[in-house]
Amino acid sequence: MNIKYSIPQALQLSHRSILGMIRQPQAWAPTLFFPLLLAAVYAAQFSKAVNLPEFPYPDVTFLDFILPACVIQGVLFGSTNSATDLAGDIENSFMDRLLSSPVSRSSILIARLSSAFIYGLVQATILIAIFFAFGAELSGGVSSALALVFITSFLSMGVGSFLIAIALRTGSQEVVNSLFPIIFVFIFISSAFFPVELMDGWYGQIAEWNPLTWIIDWTRAITIEGFSWKAFLQASGIISLISLAGIATSIHQLKRRLAVAS
Amino acid sequence: MSRPIEAENLTRTFGNLVAVNSINLTVEEGEVFGFLGPNGAGKSTAVRMLTTLLKPTGGAARVAGFDVASEASMVRKKIGVALQDAAIDPLMTGNELLRLQAVLHGISRHEGKQRCAELLERVGLTAAGDKRVGTYSGGMRRRLDLALSLVHQPKVLFLDEPTTGLDPTSRVALWEEVRTLNKEIGTTVFLTTQYLEEADQLAQRIAIIDNGRIVREGTPTKLKSDVGAPTLRVDVAESDFETAKQVMTKLGEERPARKGRIAIGLDGGTRAITSVLKSLEDQDIEVQHVELDEPSLDDVFADATGRRLEGGSDT
Repeated sequence: MNIKYSIPQALQLSHRSILGMIRQPQAWAPTLFFPLLLAAVYAAQFSKAVNLPEFPYPDVTFLDFILPACVIQGVLFGSTNSATDLAGDIENSFMDRLLSSPVSRSSILIARLSSAFIYGLVQATILIAIFFAFGAELSGGVSSALALVFITSFLSMGVGSFLIAIALRTGSQEVVNSLFPIIFVFIFISSAFFPVELMDGWYGQIAEWNPLTWIIDWTRAITIEGFSWKAFLQASGIISLISLAGIATSIHQLKRRLAVAS
Repeated sequence: MSRPIEAENLTRTFGNLVAVNSINLTVEEGEVFGFLGPNGAGKSTAVRMLTTLLKPTGGAARVAGFDVASEASMVRKKIGVALQDAAIDPLMTGNELLRLQAVLHGISRHEGKQRCAELLERVGLTAAGDKRVGTYSGGMRRRLDLALSLVHQPKVLFLDEPTTGLDPTSRVALWEEVRTLNKEIGTTVFLTTQYLEEADQLAQRIAIIDNGRIVREGTPTKLKSDVGAPTLRVDVAESDFETAKQVMTKLGEERPARKGRIAIGLDGGTRAITSVLKSLEDQDIEVQHVELDEPSLDDVFADATGRRLEGGSDT
């Protein structure tokens, strides 16, 4: 890999990915709108849940409680965009144009991963700002907000990397989009909108072992109790593992796809 | 110095299907080489191997002096590729795509900017350069595709069915652009097409591919002359048909013709036609219609494969 060429190539391809996302409001608008809609519904529906005896944060509003989960939910919905665009490139042969040029193969992957991260970053920032406008509070202030933005963007890239692997494997936008319900299920069988302490039976057990629950709980600790390096590193550590596995799978799938080429 | 394109027993199989079957090719420097064949003949598979997008399963090929399998990255630096479907991102502008292509080929920002402007002008898209490609017509997309493949001034240009789906005016405009490129810059062009006229108009040499095999190769003139003499077709009244047929088949070898028409192979140009018409007149046969057709590439294809490339032509 020639760094002199591969860095500008990765930057230019990332620029293209981000431009592509910005220019498709039909792709990103729902990922902002639905989390906000769900937040509004839940905040109204379960506002008194904070008074339940086992509720872990009795001194906060339900809106504050679901803030990190809603941001994570929005970012996870958005994480499909980068992979969908990549599958679109494969479907419409733009990928062939790239592969017949001397572009560094890793740049193609880096561009998609970085666009997933940047998209998550912008989306998280917008969602947090809207939550603030509706009275949500972060007890850790700016450092908690920054930690929340970083964790969610990082998660967007991590989950995005698995979706990118699936895009590379199938080359189908339909398949990538069909994974959306799985993300939905992962979010709902977690502590996103209700604490695991109040869950029972198999549902509670699955939620307890869902990695998303751990990420949400650590992130929630940061937003409600204030910034702590321990919670930040725990959340980032889990996301790093997810990202490593996702990126390794993506690299494997890219190599597999390239194996048919010279 | 090696030739721009050389293939030796180049083969590609997909399971039991042999898509390209041991083809041998040489394309000379500065030549427009036409690769003609029907859909599914193996043209695109051959191009994908020559452009490093597909590994050959047998044989070898060198493009711009480099082996497509073992020196693929060097090949990619030297070639320009415009694939069958004009693979262009509709969300980007022409200018943005050209700049992206320049960066992918390691061209500096300043040089890339200058070259993109020149190319947009060359393909007549300066005014549309800042519009999104999604708003372009089919012809504009193909012209942009051509410009994209030229950003790095490639030694060899691969055009895979560049005019498929274009209206006649856009098709002729693209032909003109390819001719100019070849004449002014001397770019070697490897052109696949299923259109006989396109191959005839553009290519200095042609290879005809069918079922993965090259069945004929040569200049269009040579290929056509090898098929035989031009065909004279004559229509006469039904009552005169048998007599006219007897007269004409004495003057030239009978050729297939539609019902009510007599066709013979005829050497000797206009003098020979006069002679045929005079013989018919001597028998008091009134000629209703007469035409003389030079052999076409379709005749070459039919001669090589037993089938017509453009459906049943009017024989």
